[in-house]
Amino acid sequence: MEDLENNTTVFSTLRSLNNFISQRMEGVSGLATPGSSQSSLQIQYQQRVQLEEQAGQIHSKSQLLQVEREKMQMELSHKRARIELEKAATTNARNYEREADRNQELLTRIKQYQERETEAENKLKEQMEMNKSYKKSMETMSKKLQEKESKLAEANETITILKGKISELQWNIMNQEMQMTSQDSQKQELMEQLDVQQKKWQEASQQIQTLQAGQSLLAEYEQKIKDLEQKLSQQEHDAVIVKNMKAELARFPKMERELRQLREENAYFREMKENNGLLKEEVEGLQRKLERYEKVQAQLVTVELENEKLLGKLKSWEKLDQSTGLNIRTPDDLSRQIVALQQRELVLKEQNSTITNSARMLEKARQQLQEEILRVQSQLLDEKKKREQHEALVRRLQKRVLLLTKERDGMRAILESYDSELTPSEHSPQLSRRMREAEEMVQKLHAHNTELELEVEMKVLKSQECTAEQSTVVTKEEVDTLRLKIEELEAERSKLEEENRSLEMKLEKLTVQGDYDPSRTKVLHLSMNPASLAKQQRKEEQQQLQEECERLRELVRVLEGGGAIPGNLEGVGGFQSPQEVAELKKQVESAELKNQRLKEVFQTKIQEFRKVCYTLTGYQIDITTENQYRLTSIYAEHQGDCLLFKDCARTSSLPMPGHIDIPSSYTEVWKPKCSSERKLMSKTIREGSWRRDVGLAFLLFCA
Amino acid sequence: MAKQLGRDQQGITLRGSAEIVAEFFFYGINSILYQRGIYPPETFTRVQKYGLTLLITTDPELKNYLNNVVEQMKEWLYKCSVQRLVVVISSIENNDVLERWQFDIECDRTAKDESAPREKTQKAIQDEIRSVIRQITATVTFLPLLEAACAFDLLIYTDKDLAVPEKWEESGPQFIANSEEVCLRSFTTTIHKVNSTVAYKKDSFP
Repeated sequence: MEDLENNTTVFSTLRSLNNFISQRMEGVSGLATPGSSQSSLQIQYQQRVQLEEQAGQIHSKSQLLQVEREKMQMELSHKRARIELEKAATTNARNYEREADRNQELLTRIKQYQERETEAENKLKEQMEMNKSYKKSMETMSKKLQEKESKLAEANETITILKGKISELQWNIMNQEMQMTSQDSQKQELMEQLDVQQKKWQEASQQIQTLQAGQSLLAEYEQKIKDLEQKLSQQEHDAVIVKNMKAELARFPKMERELRQLREENAYFREMKENNGLLKEEVEGLQRKLERYEKVQAQLVTVELENEKLLGKLKSWEKLDQSTGLNIRTPDDLSRQIVALQQRELVLKEQNSTITNSARMLEKARQQLQEEILRVQSQLLDEKKKREQHEALVRRLQKRVLLLTKERDGMRAILESYDSELTPSEHSPQLSRRMREAEEMVQKLHAHNTELELEVEMKVLKSQECTAEQSTVVTKEEVDTLRLKIEELEAERSKLEEENRSLEMKLEKLTVQGDYDPSRTKVLHLSMNPASLAKQQRKEEQQQLQEECERLRELVRVLEGGGAIPGNLEGVGGFQSPQEVAELKKQVESAELKNQRLKEVFQTKIQEFRKVCYTLTGYQIDITTENQYRLTSIYAEHQGDCLLFKDCARTSSLPMPGHIDIPSSYTEVWKPKCSSERKLMSKTIREGSWRRDVGLAFLLFCA
Repeated sequence: MAKQLGRDQQGITLRGSAEIVAEFFFYGINSILYQRGIYPPETFTRVQKYGLTLLITTDPELKNYLNNVVEQMKEWLYKCSVQRLVVVISSIENNDVLERWQFDIECDRTAKDESAPREKTQKAIQDEIRSVIRQITATVTFLPLLEAACAFDLLIYTDKDLAVPEKWEESGPQFIANSEEVCLRSFTTTIHKVNSTVAYKKDSFP
């Protein structure tokens, strides 16, 4: 604002200046017009001009001063303005900064708001999507709801149905409960019955236990009885054994004496055996020595014979000296002579061999020369034949030549004649015909000629062959015979070779199979070899088996006949060793002994028992015949009184005369059901009532 | 054993070769008896020989018989008068010969006169013998079954002029009527060479 104020002062001063100037000018210009003439005017004018100039200069100076002041003011104002500007700038800058900050803040805020916007948009989108998904889910849920509602409806229906069923069931339950109660009451009744039955069962079990105790006691007593019986039997055995032992003891000293004697004899026999063995060995040794000496003797004899022969030979050898007269006295001289002779012989043989070699060489040379001669002769003959053939050919050719020349002359003559004939007259067709006829004649003659010549040649050749054959027939015959012989020999040779090969093959095969040359080899084996032993064993087995077979067949015949088994066949029953048979016999004897002892013991015991029964009860029951029982009693009036019974279970009852019989039904009634009843019955026996006690006694006997 | 070790270093003499061949026959015959079932397998016991596990019999009678034959063979091999040893397996019932195991012996008689032993290692001879015994064991695969009870006999082919000792006698060669032969390996100690073949009866029903 100060600047503006400054400017306005500047402008106001300027304006005032201008006004002043303009006023002065006007004043100036007004003065110049009236009057004077031109000089004055000029002077005025000059003055004015000068004034103007001055004015102008002053003006300009004032202007300058003003300007300078203005300038100064301007500068001041400039400075102030500058300062203010700077302040303003700073303030502006601060403002700018602040505003920039604010801008940035605003920008950040804007960005934040933009981000928030975007987030909000995203959220919006998400929420939209969520909304969509929720809508979908809602739809699904609604569908499910619908389904569930439908299911609910069904379930409700089922519930109603089930409720109906429940009500029925409850009705059934009620009924069943009623039944239960009734059955409970029945159960209770049954339980009471059960209790009663249990009590009865317990009583029965107690009774059973007492019975079992009684039975066990009985069993114990029976075992004691058996033990006592066994002891009895053992004691009897022991008594028997003691008796045997005593008898044996009596024999003992005798046995000792016999033992001593036997031992002495044994020792004596052993010594004798050893002596025998030694003697046998000595005998064998002596026998071998004998054999050796005999062999030595035989050898001696042979040796003496040889000795004599050798002496004879020696003498003859010694006589050689006199017979040959070669100054031979010792065998060394003989050997030297012989060596010399042998050397001479070797030398001669060598010479002989060399001579034979040379002879062979010469023969070979001779044969070669002979062959050459033969070849040369054959060549000669061939050449002779060729030469003769050539001469014959030459002759034929000469003859042909002569014939041809004659023909030619003839033909020439004819031609000349024809030419001579032709020149005067022209008998050309006749001439040509004649010419042709003549030519044909000539050709025929040529052919005839060639045929004749061929015939001649053939005849000549045949004649020549005949002569050649006659010369070579002999050699050819020989050659043919020799060839035939050679072929035959070769055929024989090949056959012989094949035979040889086949024989060799057969020989090899036979040697592999085991063949041998009896003149050079012999086959040995041990007499006691396993094959022969096996054969012997087999034969023995076969014999044994056959014997056993025969024995078994005899047994079978005897058994079929029904006769008693003879003693010698008893042993055949089993092909067992005698030891097993003895053992089995001993077992059989012991079993029989046991049986007998048991029978005896049983008899004694049963007799005791029957006596005890008779003495204690007063009744005796006997078995007269099978199924008939006789009862006698102490209490009978007569001793002969008895009752006869028959067991109706087995047979029908028959009344026996002369005795009091109880009818059959009576016997059945009295079968006791338990031991207590039996005891009761046994108590009543001693009272003496006859009939009742009879049945009881019978029952006792049956029990 | 010391003798054999010494022999290893020294080479093969005639007596040593005879012992080796006789030993081979002992074990070979035992193997044949076991493989062909002539005697029950429980009567055989195992021993180690030639690097193999071989089975030899424990039956005292059979052992005695084999030892007698082998001792005699040793003597005859030393004299070079034995040509062949044959194991004949025949059926007990009808005496038919069912199998023939033939061992041909070729003897180099010049070894009698020589004093220097021959160059061949024990190991090489043992390897050859081992392969022969393995082959004997392998023949079980193609030989026909011996169903009937069989017994065996040992025949020895000797020179005609050899003296027959006590307890020995001459016998026939006991050929097989309709036979099929198979040649097996051979072994040699450079003094004795042993070729083995087996001949068996061809089945009448193929």
